[in-house]
Amino acid sequence: MTILELLGQGFATVLTPAGLGFVFLGVLIGQIVGALPGIGPAAGMALLLPLTFGLDPAIAIMMLAGIMYGGQYGGTLTSVLINVPGEASGVMTAVDGHKLARAGRAGTALSIAAIGSFIAGIGAVIAVAFITPTLSDFALRFNAPEYFLLALLGVTATASLGASPVRALMAGVLGLMIALVGADPLSGAPRLTFDQPALFEGIDFIPVAIGIFGIGEVLASLERAQAIAPIRTRFRDMLPKMSDWVATRAAILRGGIIGLFVGIMPGAGASVASLLAYLTERKFSRHPERFGRGALDGVAAAEAANNAASHGAMIPMLALGIPGSASTAVLLAALILHGVRPGPMLMQQESTLVWGLIASMFVGNLFLLIINLPLAPLFAALLRVPYVYLAPGILALSLVGAYAATLDLGTVWMCIVFGVLGWLMIKFDIPRPPLVLALVLAPMLEMSLRQSLLLSFGSLSIFVERPISAVLLMVVLLSLALPILGALKRSRAGS
Amino acid sequence: MTTRIRSAGALAFTCALSWTLAATVPASAQTEMRAPKGPVEITVGSGAGGSPDVIMRTIAKIMNDGLVENPIVVQNRTGGGHSNAYNYVLGKKGDENVLLTLASPVFTTPIVQGTPSVIDQVTPIAGFVQSELVLLTNPDGKFNTLEEFVAAAEAQPGRVRIAGGASGGNDHLATALVEQAADIKLTYIPHESGSAAQATFLGGNVEGHFATLAEGLALIESGKAKPLAILSEKRRTEPGYKDVPTAKEQGVDVVYLQFWGVAGPPGLDPAVAAWWADKFQKATETQAWKDIIAKNLQQSTFYGLDDAGAYFKREQDTFRRLLTSVGLAKN
Repeated sequence: MTILELLGQGFATVLTPAGLGFVFLGVLIGQIVGALPGIGPAAGMALLLPLTFGLDPAIAIMMLAGIMYGGQYGGTLTSVLINVPGEASGVMTAVDGHKLARAGRAGTALSIAAIGSFIAGIGAVIAVAFITPTLSDFALRFNAPEYFLLALLGVTATASLGASPVRALMAGVLGLMIALVGADPLSGAPRLTFDQPALFEGIDFIPVAIGIFGIGEVLASLERAQAIAPIRTRFRDMLPKMSDWVATRAAILRGGIIGLFVGIMPGAGASVASLLAYLTERKFSRHPERFGRGALDGVAAAEAANNAASHGAMIPMLALGIPGSASTAVLLAALILHGVRPGPMLMQQESTLVWGLIASMFVGNLFLLIINLPLAPLFAALLRVPYVYLAPGILALSLVGAYAATLDLGTVWMCIVFGVLGWLMIKFDIPRPPLVLALVLAPMLEMSLRQSLLLSFGSLSIFVERPISAVLLMVVLLSLALPILGALKRSRAGS
Repeated sequence: MTTRIRSAGALAFTCALSWTLAATVPASAQTEMRAPKGPVEITVGSGAGGSPDVIMRTIAKIMNDGLVENPIVVQNRTGGGHSNAYNYVLGKKGDENVLLTLASPVFTTPIVQGTPSVIDQVTPIAGFVQSELVLLTNPDGKFNTLEEFVAAAEAQPGRVRIAGGASGGNDHLATALVEQAADIKLTYIPHESGSAAQATFLGGNVEGHFATLAEGLALIESGKAKPLAILSEKRRTEPGYKDVPTAKEQGVDVVYLQFWGVAGPPGLDPAVAAWWADKFQKATETQAWKDIIAKNLQQSTFYGLDDAGAYFKREQDTFRRLLTSVGLAKN
């Protein structure tokens, strides 16, 4: 059978009342859990997994997958509206998205994010349908040395996320230091844990992000409670204009392609994808100075990338049985629980299920676009509520989210401690995204460096002998050298 | 690791907890049994989708299909190498509405962190799933047998690489056992998860990789891996594995079984423990369970109230010995 016939067969599975109903239910739940900080799509899927037992396996997997990519749409909401990224892939969205919201353009940011996610999502599903075997072989050529250089690129690039590179680097280094807490990933020896079992597995992203962004923001607002006027949002600013679309379509395309390629690598996920897409977009942009101050194309690139990445993670899962993300790991578990054995034979042995799933992603993305476009102005209108009333809500949402992530009060305390840190960072004008991104990238940076050196028996030549690795090394070196050369040139021109 | 209880003396020696008083008589027939009231939580220390989680959700579903009326909720309490889960259960002394999933981290985490043993405190109920490991190599690689693999490691110590899961986990311990049995030195490369290790292996970056039989079969059938040896007592009988020799046959005396079980909190009423042991045993006798075990190429040897405690303690001793040998044990 040709791919189109198989896809047609897949649509036949989806376009039934049960198929449509459960895909809709899945994306709706995804939208909700994605919007709640603390409960990400992976946790939402795990919670609902037992409820799918009575269903046909194909329908169950379609619904669970809907939660997965629905979460990427939902995560945009809290990032843009209240500057609390619910998961790592939303950090870059919050950087410019919340600035736009402050400027009264939340509706535009949310709509463009939804459109960007939709286009990138559909593009990624087409890639899943047509070139999964090719892409999965490509994904396997990425291993420890390549992941190390990718993470290095990300960490060094965080220096550019803020007005002052020195301040951004300080925040980045602080993030790397926080990431050192916990068991050494290779030897298992405890580091900086002070014999506290709670610290043994390290400090998780969720309490840090919720604390630094959500609680920090609320604390800072207490100091200037009198001064904050409600954000003025005019209804005609709530929907994107034609010019917004023209300004962001290239960003969506580039972000989607970067997201897809990063997403298919089993060792890198949506957070790396959105960071790289954002940084690339700033390089291409005609107004890079707007990035960090409310650039709509920055939001579009980051959102297109994280949705493409979450779909791209399906490729190694379907072709090889290797999950590309936490959410695809839950999908794999669901397959096993429904009596389907994942692995390289999945696409042949379970073609009805696989093609039903692929077809369902087209339908689900369409549902999400239809849900999000009319809701964007509605959610944006939330910001018309004066901040004094909004702040307690944000605080409650943050603390409940931290508790829900682990069901442990210790996480809530940790969240509050990082809230104070976030407040101090705002006070001293130190950018917060580099800290959180460094925390996310650090385990990948450390693990893959040490794995590389184990693979090469201690020789650094592994980074230049592998072709992809050599290219990435060049990119890292260039990204470090260009700003320095530029500064030299300017200082010479000035003297 | 699979030998049965050696003697009644050994059993009596290790039986300190109250439930074992009942173990001297056949438990299922004569011990008083009492069902707990209300919904029961099975606490799992791994995330959704991990082996312990999948096993517990599967058996919970089978038990709720007519065997057990209490609603069973499988709750993931992740983090701290299962310590969030077991500390939660350890704090629920005598509570009849909570059970702990036993997986290797419940045994190894206290040894690595130097904290009191968990299995010595909880109320063992049953061990009911075991899984063998298969050592895989690249399909176009230079090895065809475990003997060749071992010979290469002898010729160049440390130059044969194995990709596996977390440091101190099952793959790491199995590697240590192979090193000891064959007196060789391998390079073990830990990964954040078993599937990350599989990606490293499939990318052709290493010479060896441990997989469960179900994972391994999918790779072997699609020509992406070649089996070298199964670390079990005897060969499997399934078509995919009947020609794969055991490590023992190839002169490396290693048997390694991953296992999973269930325990109650400290001081659980023996009658309730007996009731659960009976229900788990009945669940493992259902056709639905047998089908799943067959499909996943696992084993389901049942250890109930009379032998589970001794079985778990034996496994704990093995873990301590292996973790000491790889330099990770703290107590």
